[in-house]
Order: sequence, then structure tokens, then C-alpha cells
Amino acid sequence: MKRTLLAAALLAAMTVYAQPPAWQQGKPPAMADSKLAPLAGRNTETPASEIPIGKVKLPKGFAVEIWATGMPGGRAMARGDSGKIYMGTRGLGRVYEVTDEGGRRTSRVVVDKLTQPAGVAMHGGSLYVMAIDKVLRYDGIEKNPDVQPVDLTDRFNLPPQQHHNWKYIAFGPDGKLYVPFGAPCNICEPPPEYAQIRRYNADGSGMEVIARGVRNTQGFTWHPRTKQLWFTDHGRDWMGDKGPEDELNRISKAGLNFGYPYCHAKGVLDADFKKKDGCKGVTLPVTTMGPHAAVMGVIFYTGSMFPKEYQNTMFIARKGSWNRTVKFGFDVANVRPSKDGRKATVKRFMTGFLEDAKAGKFWGRPAYLLQMPDGSMLVSDEQLGAIYRVSYAKK
Amino acid sequence: MRSSCKGRWAWLTALFVANALAQSLPERLQLCDACHGPGGISATAGTPSLAGQPPIFLENQLVLLREGVREVPQMAAAVQGLKDAEIRLIARHYGAQKPAAPQGTPDPALMGRGAALALKLRCASCHEADYRGREQMPRLAAQREEYLEYAMNGYRRYTRKGGDTLMAAALYGVSDAEVRALAHFLANHR
Repeated sequence: MKRTLLAAALLAAMTVYAQPPAWQQGKPPAMADSKLAPLAGRNTETPASEIPIGKVKLPKGFAVEIWATGMPGGRAMARGDSGKIYMGTRGLGRVYEVTDEGGRRTSRVVVDKLTQPAGVAMHGGSLYVMAIDKVLRYDGIEKNPDVQPVDLTDRFNLPPQQHHNWKYIAFGPDGKLYVPFGAPCNICEPPPEYAQIRRYNADGSGMEVIARGVRNTQGFTWHPRTKQLWFTDHGRDWMGDKGPEDELNRISKAGLNFGYPYCHAKGVLDADFKKKDGCKGVTLPVTTMGPHAAVMGVIFYTGSMFPKEYQNTMFIARKGSWNRTVKFGFDVANVRPSKDGRKATVKRFMTGFLEDAKAGKFWGRPAYLLQMPDGSMLVSDEQLGAIYRVSYAKK
Repeated sequence: MRSSCKGRWAWLTALFVANALAQSLPERLQLCDACHGPGGISATAGTPSLAGQPPIFLENQLVLLREGVREVPQMAAAVQGLKDAEIRLIARHYGAQKPAAPQGTPDPALMGRGAALALKLRCASCHEADYRGREQMPRLAAQREEYLEYAMNGYRRYTRKGGDTLMAAALYGVSDAEVRALAHFLANHR
């Protein structure tokens, strides 16, 4: 009788808490008192005079300047043919347009009040904006700033869960729009429409799922020669300071499984979702990118300004960890893949944003990268709503 | 003699619009206090207390209200035309005020249920053990009960925009009755 009651009580408790807080799922009792929490962003403008750009460190010969500021929450950047740059945000719900007016940058808000319009892409003269629950296309926006958007939302069949479903989007060399659908939790068995990367025709038709087992990718790009897609992916939280580490993956063909929720990083089995041979059939990353690093934007450098050794190497922004007692990341890494693309070396390139890793003191969070026609590289700082320009001058 | 905040809303709106550019900070704060209570301790149903809220939280919310990302009609006129610099000053002011003490009469059974839920949902890991909040995460202790319930429902039903998706995720699967218990516990938390 006692046991039946106990079982009934347990069952009741399990029913009540069948869906624990998604981002805390998997927080073990040992970490119950942990005070780690996502880091606060800012919604207000930061004047250039309040940006300590002098603290940025770069290899010898490189220089950095504040290129633009006043775009709170600005993150992914897409450049139009005329040189205007479009920037998405998350909570603030805005998309910015940054215009270079000969040595001086101005910005305006193209659209606001969207639900996390993080995804921006330029294609055929049109700006594509993807929020969690909306897809908009602005045709010819660079020439016609007041153009009304075409609402493409219905074509994309966006699922309802919001967590990890703000988007990074980009058009591939195949002219298709690549869109990630993150796992709507920290760790869970994702419903079938999540934890994957899809591609669509530009009008939203012809959807294909090209990769599964992808927890939360916030950046991808294509290799300049092989045209294969490389993407960054955030590791799960609440498994300790050591990881599992974030990933840099390569898609050699469509249909691969990248492991979530059973297999993380280079073959780390999940602590909560245990499966025998959980890493079997899983495509492991080219390289890991550090514990809780928050790997974001990624580019292959093909410009002529930086020294030759950087040609066709990657730059990856690491926004920096929250789920770690000693902070990690807050930098831009230079990643050099081997010729066969099966492994890579990771070296810190742009640092100085993190002032005290133990105290968690930082001032900026590099999020996305853009190569400019002159070969310089723009780096967006989501924390301060600014864009920095990294250039190289032979010394 | 206190007239209701609702009744004053019309003339407050007129005042805000007329003076949007001419107000000094003390004048602004007086208008905030008119609804949110002296020193930001609210005695008005549906209007939250601001006293002792983390400044980053207030700052970010004021921007979201100004932009209409968070749609709160009563706030629209009040925040119209506010500059980022003014928002920072207002946020700092209320952050430095002495927070409210619990105003209601706690129901022991509901308090117990709320406390157990708060523990289970690990509210304190972000909002601090005494629920005073920090950074972008608001003070919950002694906030008005009906406001806490309203705010949590806003996250659950995706009607409160501009926040992270974390609160929606944190309250995923929590029932209406449980939200009420949480609100009661937090509003009466000492």
C-alpha cells in the first residue's frame, strides 16, 4: 500500500514536471545552486566614446577601429551590392540598415517590433529578413528605402516553439536559402521539425532537411573551393565547465546526423539522454571550438589585404560563455582546416573583450564577421551594438 | 485622498505628450511615481513596483516599451520620445530606491506550493536566493501579486515580446494554478 502511494505520488510529481524549463533541462542536483545565467544584453545605444576599442588585441600589423555604432543588439550582417549593410537583432526586434557615407556611417531602422529578427540575407537585390515567426522580403531596398515588404511567412512553415529558433540565414552557392531550426530546449528529444538545417528555394518552396542532430547553429558559410557548407554549433549546457565543447562541422553530403541529443563534441555521450552506441552513425565535428564558447559567425577569408597565410582560412566569432564558472571565448578565432577538411587548428586572433575570466568581467561580445571588398573584416559586437573594422597594413 | 491611476491616465497622457521634450528628470520621475507609487512602490493593481529593480532590467524594458515591442498602452505616452540617456537615468533612479515590503496576507497552503514550485523550477538560480533579481533578470520579491501572474502569463503565451525566449522555456508546461501559487509566494516573499 505504502509503495503504491509512493508510486502514485512520484507519478503525480512526474506529470507536473514532465516538461521542466527547457534551457535548464539536464541541470544536475550537483549544480542546483549554480548561479550561472545568460549574460545581460543592452537595448540602448553606446556612443563611440564609451567603447574601449584600445583594449582589443590583434596579431602584429593588424589594426582595429570603430566603424559604426548606435545599433543596439545588432548581430548578423548582410551586405548589399551598393555597400549598405543590413543587421538583424534578437529581443529588440529591429533590423538596421547601415550606410557608409564616405568615412562616416549612419544607420536607420528598416523594420521593428518583430519577434527576434536575427536572420538577414541579401539575394538578387532583395533583403530577406527572418524572425522566429515571420519571413519578409524587401525588393530593391537599397535603391528604394521605403519599399513595402513581401510577406513570405506562409511558405516557410515555421514551427511554434521559440527557444533556439531565432535564425541565422544565408544563401548558398546553389541559390538556395539555408535556415536552421534549433532544438527548443537545452537538452531534449527534439520534435521532428527541430534540431536541423533546412534549405529552401528563394520563394520558400522546395524545402529539404539537409542535416539533423544540430542543436543550435548560429553561423555557417561555404568553402570557397569545395563549396561545402561549414557550420558552427553550440554545445549543451549544465554538463560542467569542461563542455561538451562547441563544434565546427562540415557537411560533405546531405542527410548527415550531427549527434544531438545523444552525442556531443568529439564523441561525448549525453548525461541525460543515454543511448547505447549514442555516437554510432554520427558525423563528428572537424574541430571542437571550446567549452560553452558560443560560436557564432564564420567566414572563409578570400581577400587580398591580410597576409597570404590567412588565405582560405576561417575566422569564427565566439561570443563567449555564460554556462561556465570561468568565462571562455569573447574573441574571434582564426581556424585553419587541413587540406582534406577533416581537421583544423584553432588560434585566438582578436582578443581583449574579456577582462577577467574568473569574475566574468567583459565589455564586448564579437558575434558576426563580414569580409569587405577591400579585404578588411567587419566584426559586429552584439553587446554594444557596434561594428569594428579590422585591417592590415604591412609594417 | 488618492484618485485612481486609471482616472489620471488621460491627463497624464496629455501632460506627457505636451511636455515630452521639456521635462527635467525630477519632473519625469514625478510622473512615473504618479502610477508606480511614491519611490516606485506601487499601490495600484496591474502596475508593477519599480523600486529596487536591477537598472539593466529597467533600462531594457523601457526601451522595449518605447519601441512598442512590449505593447502596454498605459506606457506608450509615458515613454514616447525618451532618449536612451534619459532611460538610463530613470533606470538608475528606481534601481537605487528601497524595495517594497510584501503587502498582502500570505495563505500558508499557497505559500507552500509556490515555494516548492520555485525550488523545482530553479527560479532562484537567476533571480537570486532572495528573489531580488540581478542584471536583466527582475526583482520578484514583494512585486504585486496580480502583476507577477500577468507577467508570467505573458511569457507563457508569447504575448510579452522583446524578452529572451528563456522565460517562456522556463515556464513551459506550468499550469495556471501553479502560476498563481508562484505569484502568491513571490509577492509575499520576505
